[in-house]
Amino acid sequence: MNMNRETDRPPVQNSTMSLAKPAMRGLLGKRLRFHLPIAFALSLVAAAAFKYGVTEPRKQAYADFYKQYDTTKEFNNMRDAGVFESVRPTGE
Amino acid sequence: MQMAKHFSVKDKEAIRLLFSPLAQRCYSHGGKQETDEEFDARWVNYFNKADIDAWELRKGMNTLIGYDLVPEPKILDAALRACRGLDDLASAIRILEAVKDKSGPHKDIYPYLIQELRPTLDELGISTPEDLGMDKL
Repeated sequence: MNMNRETDRPPVQNSTMSLAKPAMRGLLGKRLRFHLPIAFALSLVAAAAFKYGVTEPRKQAYADFYKQYDTTKEFNNMRDAGVFESVRPTGE
Repeated sequence: MQMAKHFSVKDKEAIRLLFSPLAQRCYSHGGKQETDEEFDARWVNYFNKADIDAWELRKGMNTLIGYDLVPEPKILDAALRACRGLDDLASAIRILEAVKDKSGPHKDIYPYLIQELRPTLDELGISTPEDLGMDKL
């Protein structure tokens, strides 16, 4: 019992257009050859963007901070705040 | 109880085909590159084997689906006839689902395959997944 055909399909053998044969081989290879170089390039761009957008500014911020850093003054401030165990605040 | 399966020469050839490393554009040196026609002919012969068994059918299909291609209608025709010989309608319909999935985003492949396979599907009485409403989740 053939239940596949719709009952009102016309009995004509060939309708106006039968489908042309599409490409069926190497489709994934084609896709990869297109997308992998782009993916690789975008990864490099992302890494470069992060380096120059985040890490380098951060490093520069630290460098700028410590360029003008007076270690003795800051040490004495910390000492007088009482945070050390090895030295007491000046005047005790 | 049952004798161990003895491999005939033809069976050995079929199995050798399965384990050949030719997975579309295999870059191993030292051998002639197989043409598409030779590849297709090998697989048609594989499924046309008269005494193909259920394991070989499944193994063949799984191997074939692993390649970077959608099988030609003539290969699928041979596979569907092998299913018929093994009284395996479920695998026949599954083959259709599998090639539709293999087509990926290329939506023109599956209708073409069904068009080419229509005589076989009608002859063997195989419903498509669409006929059975299995393509809708």
